[in-house]
Parts: sequence; C-alpha cells; structure tokens
Amino acid sequence: MEKRESLWEAYLRRGFSRRSFLKGCVALTSLMGLSTDMFSKVVEAAETKPLPVVIWIHGHECTGCDESFIRSGAPLASDVVLSSIALEYDHLLSAACGAPFEAHLDETIAKYNGQYILAVEGAVATKASGVYCMSGGHTFTHLLEKAAKGAAAIIAYGSCSAYGGIQAAKPNPTGSAGIERFVGGKPVVKVPGCPPIPEVMTGVVMHVALFGSLPPVDSDGRPKQFYGNRIHDTCYRRPFFDAGMFAETFDDAGAKAGWCLYKLGCRGPETYNSCGNLRWWQGMSYPIQSGAPCIGCSNAKFWDEDPFTARLPQYGKLGDVDKIGAALGVLTAAGVAGHAVASVIQRNQRENLIDEDHHE
Amino acid sequence: MAIKSVKDVKRKEYYIFSPFLRIFHWIMVAMILVLFVTGLLITKPMNVGGTEPAFTSLSMDLVRDIHFLAAFILCASLIMRIYGFIINKGDRLFPRVWEGHFYSETVEVALHYMLLKPHHAPFLRNPLARGSYAMLYVLLAIEILTGFAMYLMANPASSFGKIFGWVNTLVGTEMMSHYIHHYVAWFIILFAIGHFYMVVRAEFMEGESEVSSMFSGKKVLAHTPKDANELD
Repeated sequence: MEKRESLWEAYLRRGFSRRSFLKGCVALTSLMGLSTDMFSKVVEAAETKPLPVVIWIHGHECTGCDESFIRSGAPLASDVVLSSIALEYDHLLSAACGAPFEAHLDETIAKYNGQYILAVEGAVATKASGVYCMSGGHTFTHLLEKAAKGAAAIIAYGSCSAYGGIQAAKPNPTGSAGIERFVGGKPVVKVPGCPPIPEVMTGVVMHVALFGSLPPVDSDGRPKQFYGNRIHDTCYRRPFFDAGMFAETFDDAGAKAGWCLYKLGCRGPETYNSCGNLRWWQGMSYPIQSGAPCIGCSNAKFWDEDPFTARLPQYGKLGDVDKIGAALGVLTAAGVAGHAVASVIQRNQRENLIDEDHHE
Repeated sequence: MAIKSVKDVKRKEYYIFSPFLRIFHWIMVAMILVLFVTGLLITKPMNVGGTEPAFTSLSMDLVRDIHFLAAFILCASLIMRIYGFIINKGDRLFPRVWEGHFYSETVEVALHYMLLKPHHAPFLRNPLARGSYAMLYVLLAIEILTGFAMYLMANPASSFGKIFGWVNTLVGTEMMSHYIHHYVAWFIILFAIGHFYMVVRAEFMEGESEVSSMFSGKKVLAHTPKDANELD
C-alpha cells in the first residue's frame, strides 16, 4: 500500500506555513466541539495520521446534504475534500463517471479494506427489492452492503440515512428506512438534519479522520457535542418564551419584534441540534432567527408530525384535541346529568311498585 | 313519637381508607386540577406581550414552574400512597382481578348503571369503580413517564435523563411524548367528571356513605355490604 500523506504533509506540499497549519488545527479543535486542552493532540494527529480514505455514497435522497456540505466555511469544504481527507469515491463531487468510476470503487474497497470511512447520504428503499433506488446498475441496498462490509466506521449524513427522511412519510410507498439495519452491525454515527449544519458535517468527518474513532455519541448514535442540547435550550429567543411574549401569526407585531415562535408550532423544544449555538453560514443565522419556526428536521419522524405551524395535530373540522376534549367534557357532563334524572325515575318507579306491594 | 328528620336506624361502621390513602386522594384532586390548567396554558400560552423580557412577569416560566412543582408533589404523595399500601392491610392499590367473582360483580354493577337492572349488590369496594381507579393509575403512570421523559431531556446525558430517556424512544419521538401527555390529560379529566358523578350518585341513590368516607375513612352503612368479610 502506497504511503498516504498526513494533513501536515499536505500543507507542506502546498507551501503553507507552520503558522497557518497551527491556525487550521485551532479551527479544527473548536469545530469538533473539543476543549482547547485537546489542541496538542489534534496537532499530533494532524502531523502523523495519514489522510483517511473516504467513500461517500448517496441513496434515496435529494443530495441537499451535499449542498450544505459544500457551503462549510470553517474548514472550507474544498479544504476538507482536497487536503484533509482522501475522497476516493463520491457520486456527486467526482468528475469521473461510468464503468471506470464503478471499477474504482471496487478497487478502493479492496485496497483499503477495513480502513476507509464510509459516508452515507440518503435512505435505503426497502420495498420491491430496493428497485426504487438504483446506483451503478445495482440497488442502493446492494451498494451499501458492499461498501459497509470493509468500512472502519460509517457516518450517516442527513435525516434520510439516519431515519428514512421525508420520503418515509406516511404512507412511505418506497419503504424508505435508515441505513442502520443494512450495515451488518458496523458502528454508525448519525448526523441527522435536513440538511445537517455544514460545520457539523465537516466536524464529524474530521473527528473520525484525526482520531480514528467515532466521536462520543448519545443513546441514539448522534455526536454529543453537536446534538447534546435542544435548540430551545440554546435559542436566543428563549427569554421571550419564558416571559410569555409570543408571535401569534407570521405577520403580527410579535413576529416583527422577533418574539418566540412557540405558538407558531416551533419544534425547538423537542429538537436536538446545534442551530442555536453554531448557527448556519458561519454563524450568520438559523431558521428561528430568520422568523421561521423550527420544524425539527433533525428528529426521527418529524415529517409525520404535521402541521408544522401548530403545537397539536389537527383533525379537520373537529379541530385539535383541546376542542375535542372540551366537547367530550361537556358531553360527559350532560350524560351524567341525564343519567342522574333517569336513575331518579327508575328509583321512584321501583318504590311505587314496593308501595303497591305493601298496600295489597 | 318520631321526629321526621331523625331516623332510628342501626348502622355499622366499616373502616376502609387509611390516612395515607385519603391524604393522597385530596392532594391528587388538587394537583390534577393545577396540572391540567397549567398544562393547557403550557401548550397554548397566554401572550402577556410587553416591551422586552426583562420588564415582564416571566409568566410562561412561572406557569411551567407551577406545573413542575405540582407534578413533584403528586409523585411524592403517590409514593406515600404506595408506602401506605404496604404497611396497611386494609389499603388496596388494584382490584383483585385474580378472583373470579370480580368480573361477574363488575358486570352486575355495570348493568345497574346502564339502568338495565333496578339495583346491584352493595359493596364496600365497588368492583366497577375499582376497575376505573386501576385505569386512572395507568393514566397517571403514562403522565409521569412521559412527563419526566420531557422534563429531564434538558440534559439527556444526566443520570435521571437516562432513567426516563427510553420513554421517548419507546413512543418514537419526543414530540410523541408531548402528544401522549396532552391527550391522556384529557382522559383523566373525563374520568374525574364521571367519578365525581358516580360518587355523589352512590351517596344519594344507594345509601352508601361514599363522600364522607374519603374524609373519615369510614363507611357508615345500614345495609351489610357483600364484601364486608374482606375487612377481616
């Protein structure tokens, strides 16, 4: 196996200074959500660890995660793809195509067996033997199983590969499902989101690249440093929630003043992501900041929890459960009142009968 | 010469409700009302408006804190209730569903309540009512589990978070826990309406001292209930 260069060697080759290398390492350390105590370990890893081979495959999805990924600002997606990882195969970013491209995948799998990182975007289409999602003449399921076999670690990018995605919404005609059951028990780190935050995507792959291990994950397999908190608990609009200052419609004074979007169905209180602290596009904004309530895109099954603009499910003309519950309450009260009257009548009839018996 | 408002009737006292049970009952009544009202306000909060958070009354924060405090009080009193059940032979948590006559007696009482039978055999512990209390405990358990599963997820990595985190996984998503918590609250209120009516009805229609027994612990009855021997 040929020698693969490390991040430091890649910097040297491109004529960057030691200073800019160290600066890059500082940026990486904070991006991976690590404490600055870890800085020396990051530098050490960047100097010595060969760039990891990455195979990046796309299944049942819209490739929106890639659209997010290529907008990563720190590190730049181009820096990650061209000098931080050895990206051998990528459906979307590769210039090559056709039979030679597919042959290269087989070569890469064989050559780096047990060493490469498999990044998966998109769900598995399980119905009809998987024909709803084809790749290189085979089903995506086939490709995923083949590529997962020799992978050292698997990163599931996006809510599709983590949980099935919006195409898994009821009635889920393609049987779309997360990849976890199709990778033969290999460790999977889930990076959900529709799409995930770009810096979260690069941060996770850099963590795996530099330390050769998956980042610490929660019980659902999501990296704790990015998915450990609710958006609600990190949201800059939280004081408005606590105070009871809410936007009631999308165009009222509260919405204009930037008050809490809870009453417009914001899913921040149920959603684990870094939107509140990391935000998007180098910290420029995130949905809530731009006045759109969170839809919980990094949650499993968020697609079935409609409507996104209300806290409770609606049942057509019946309204939500509060309306139905109040109506049932009134009905029950009326029912017991009727029952009371009927009970009294029944008792009086019975007593009359007894009285008549008595007189005879 | 008898005064009309004074009856000379021989009655027996049956002591069935220990203080643990009675105190729990009334705490539960108060807490269910508090939890229900604050819960509705949490789902659909009042909009206090204002100019900025620093100058408002923290109404949402206050409503949530009252909800959480009431929930903790209810859980504490439930634990006391279970403790009372363990140390008092007379207290029951669940009906004796393993005894066959429970079912036939439940059917008999149900037929009477459907006005199909003129009367049912008198009980100290009405089997149909006991069945509904078992249902109430199930509903309370669902509220407690989903409630803590949401409350503790402010820090999922904490040890208490791990104890209740599985509930969200079991029902699918954390949003589903919110939905279930809210829907079950309505069922508890529907139960409360029915329970209130049935107790008052038993007092006036069937000569049971149902209402006063939850204060005194005793049922003072002129008739002999069918399950009187279960007190021994």
